[in-house]
Amino acid sequence: MKQQAAPIMKYKWCKLVLIITMVVLSLRLWDLQIMRGTEMRRLSEQNRIRVKKVIAPRGVILDTQGRVLADTRPSFNLYITPEDITDFSQTVDGLAKLLDIDREDILDKLKTASGFPPSFPVKIKSDVTKDELAKVEVNRVYLPGVSIQIEPKRNYPYGKMMAHMLGYVSEINGDELKTKEYKDYSPGDYIGKYGLERKYEAFLRGVDGEKRVEVDAMGREVRTLDIVEPTAGNNLHLNVNLDTQQIVENEFEGKKGGAVILDPKTGSVIALVSRPAFDPNKFASGITKKDWSAISMDPSHPLQNRATQGRYPPGSTFKMVAALKALELGIVNKHTSYNCRGGFPFGKRVFKCWKKGGHGSVGVHRGIVESCDVYFYNVGLKLGVDRIHEMADAIGLGKQTGIDLPGEKKGVVPSTEWKMKTFKEPWYEGETVSVSIGQGAVWLTPIHLVQLSAFVANEGVTFKPQIVRKIISPEGKTVKMFEPVMETNVRLKKDVFRIVKEGMKGVVNEPGGTAYSNRVQNINMSGKTGTAQASSTGKGDHAWFIAYAPAEDPTVSMSILVEMGGHGGSQSAPVAKAVAENIFKVNEASSPREANLNENR
Amino acid sequence: MRIDKRRLYHLDWFLICNGLALFGIGILNLVSATSSFYSGSYNFIIKQLAAFLVGLVIIAIILRFDYRVITYQSKWLYWSALFLIVLVLVVGMIAGGARRWINIFGISLQPSEFMKPVLVVFLANILYQKKKENMVLGLKGIAGPILWTLIPFFLIVKQPDLGTGIIILFTSLIMLWFVGLKKSTYAILGCVGVAASFIVWKILLKPYQKMRIFSFINIDADPSGFGYHAKQAMIAVGSGKFLGKGYMAGTQHKLQFIPEHHTDFIFTVFGEEWGFVGSIIFFILFISFIYRGIKVAMNAHDELGSIIAFGMTTIIYLQFTINVLMAMHLAPVVGIPLPFVSYGGSSLLSVLASVGFLLNISMRRYMF
Repeated sequence: MKQQAAPIMKYKWCKLVLIITMVVLSLRLWDLQIMRGTEMRRLSEQNRIRVKKVIAPRGVILDTQGRVLADTRPSFNLYITPEDITDFSQTVDGLAKLLDIDREDILDKLKTASGFPPSFPVKIKSDVTKDELAKVEVNRVYLPGVSIQIEPKRNYPYGKMMAHMLGYVSEINGDELKTKEYKDYSPGDYIGKYGLERKYEAFLRGVDGEKRVEVDAMGREVRTLDIVEPTAGNNLHLNVNLDTQQIVENEFEGKKGGAVILDPKTGSVIALVSRPAFDPNKFASGITKKDWSAISMDPSHPLQNRATQGRYPPGSTFKMVAALKALELGIVNKHTSYNCRGGFPFGKRVFKCWKKGGHGSVGVHRGIVESCDVYFYNVGLKLGVDRIHEMADAIGLGKQTGIDLPGEKKGVVPSTEWKMKTFKEPWYEGETVSVSIGQGAVWLTPIHLVQLSAFVANEGVTFKPQIVRKIISPEGKTVKMFEPVMETNVRLKKDVFRIVKEGMKGVVNEPGGTAYSNRVQNINMSGKTGTAQASSTGKGDHAWFIAYAPAEDPTVSMSILVEMGGHGGSQSAPVAKAVAENIFKVNEASSPREANLNENR
Repeated sequence: MRIDKRRLYHLDWFLICNGLALFGIGILNLVSATSSFYSGSYNFIIKQLAAFLVGLVIIAIILRFDYRVITYQSKWLYWSALFLIVLVLVVGMIAGGARRWINIFGISLQPSEFMKPVLVVFLANILYQKKKENMVLGLKGIAGPILWTLIPFFLIVKQPDLGTGIIILFTSLIMLWFVGLKKSTYAILGCVGVAASFIVWKILLKPYQKMRIFSFINIDADPSGFGYHAKQAMIAVGSGKFLGKGYMAGTQHKLQFIPEHHTDFIFTVFGEEWGFVGSIIFFILFISFIYRGIKVAMNAHDELGSIIAFGMTTIIYLQFTINVLMAMHLAPVVGIPLPFVSYGGSSLLSVLASVGFLLNISMRRYMF
């Protein structure tokens, strides 16, 4: 017979316990999965899905032949996602030690992004090397919150070349982020800070994409859920010709100064040089404090664009202004001559001509060709400063030329009114003597003087200097076309330009001309030298040369300044010669085969 | 000696099918849980299936002998298990900061797991002997069982393996309740329990174990540690909603938001992928298994069988309940495997041994 072993009461308790258990478990499950299920689902999505920005590649900058002057290349950037950090000091100190970054730098970066959600990755270092990458990957487990992203980085294949024209991009800073202009930007974004990069920021910057990625608890990407592809920025097609630019750059090796080469008929900038220069690539990888202070504290000011921001006395190149006005007004004509004995007594002092022995009797042609100071002292005095100012102003020398680069400086062309306004003092005639040869209170930039050259070459017409020819979208559509913009259209008597142009042609092509040694084979280059006293420093003279070619139908205007270079004829004119030779390919044309080909055309 | 054919006929097929269903679900779930591991996810499945086969052999061995015969030899089992536990403390492998495993011929065993069914049989024997003399146990009567429980308990907690320690302690206390104590003894046990818990808190618990309990009370107290894990587990289960995300489609565990999701937190995987409907079915399967275990105790041939069956069922009940409550953040995080489902050979063997005893007892219920 079977016996009942244990008290039956206990089993009733057991059933009760099981029922209670089932009820409790079910209720809790109901609470979590049904009542709060939606919220929990949302939390689980948030947990694993991160929205990551896919940085759009910046537009490419190309020269007139389609050669790449600035593009983007992949760069490995290191990020910290604050939310994923489990042990703050472990991650920050570990990373600082591993990659030899300043701990403070990391904290600074994290602070800059403090207004953003903690899931927002903060860029700590751009362009980590392969070695550093390996170190980070190996130690990934100890660095929760650290991630590497491949992003496009600005690349300037020619380094220092064209640095002032192209400019550079650099990480947006906290102050810029607060401005209206950059309201669409976020920390870590790169913006154009200088040159074309800045001027055309709105065009070059693309539209960033978005990637939704699944991440694990360590913040590692597991898979991509979906991606909104970024749209690359628009490409800038420049008027600049890399070959010409290269020649000028080479000529400037070891020198300081600036040069602008443009097409006087359109204003297209063919080359623009400023030396010393900097390497814009350094900025693109996130410039270090050390590099930055080295560049910004450099007494030779490599960050200044001497071509558009460097103001110098124009020296004898300015004589053209006086000549034009005097001829126009009939104050002098081609037969008017003055006697130069090497000096010009005025008041209590004697203004010297550069040629100690004097030029003898000089008319306007020889005055220009040989750059006789005494001739222009006379002309200047007859004109008076206000009429010189009038002409200079008409050419556009007192204002910005409007070149498409930020930070262009105005020129200074004095007048009696200007002096009264500026110094509350009357004008002295002795000052007019100085101004007539481009000294004294006249201050112009190389780009002003290229406009002077173009003014003569085009006989009164100048165009706004333009570096960019067109902006093309990544799909190849024309976003913007830059048509020539006429700046000045000054009508002078036909003879005036003929006389001045003959003079400038003589400067290069006539024996005794100040740039005679720089004449170019097979082509007539016209020019005007200038040797300007650097009065403030006295360390030497600035060497100027402005030119256009061919003399008969100019297609190139140039302005070359070598700071403290000495004589324009010996320092700056050779640059123009080299440029002209290259542009008109005179050397190649002189080879029999090329000559043949040219004849057959 | 061969097994009587009638005994095979009397095997509790319901219990077997129920157990197999749980194990089957467990394996499927484990496949999903380990699919996120970068390598060797099949390894887990193969090892688990291998342990299952070994478990079947153990069941067969248990069935071969009358449970009374095994019970008479239970002190040898007890001392052997205790020896292994001591051995763990001496030569055990350290993993995850705990010394719980010993390596025998390349197979790592967790002796504390084996102590569970062994202690049930051992205590059942003592209690049954006492009950035969005296119907209601007093303090003197329970002194022995308590001592034999506390020895392995302290050794196991020292490993540290608080989860297994708790299961052992609670199981033997519930067994004492089952056989019935004097009312005064309950009162004294209660007082001692309160006092002991203070001592345990002060002396025995490691700081991280205390942290777990704190973080249970306030889930945000330790956002990067246990609170974080408990929260992630809760999110995983909750995000399953009514029908779940679908088999192999759980994300929380795959992305490793939950630690130990193939062992102690295995239910989070199931809850996330199968949702409310699946989980309720899963609970019903467990509760019915446990109920069946109680039935075995009720219908046992003698009191000894009842006590053993009840003890074995208690182990499974406690592990199931605490594990699931832990995953749903209704119990502090302590390492307790979910029977049949959690990855772990020793745990599975221990559970199957319990099943072996249940089958043994039910098979011999009509013995005269």
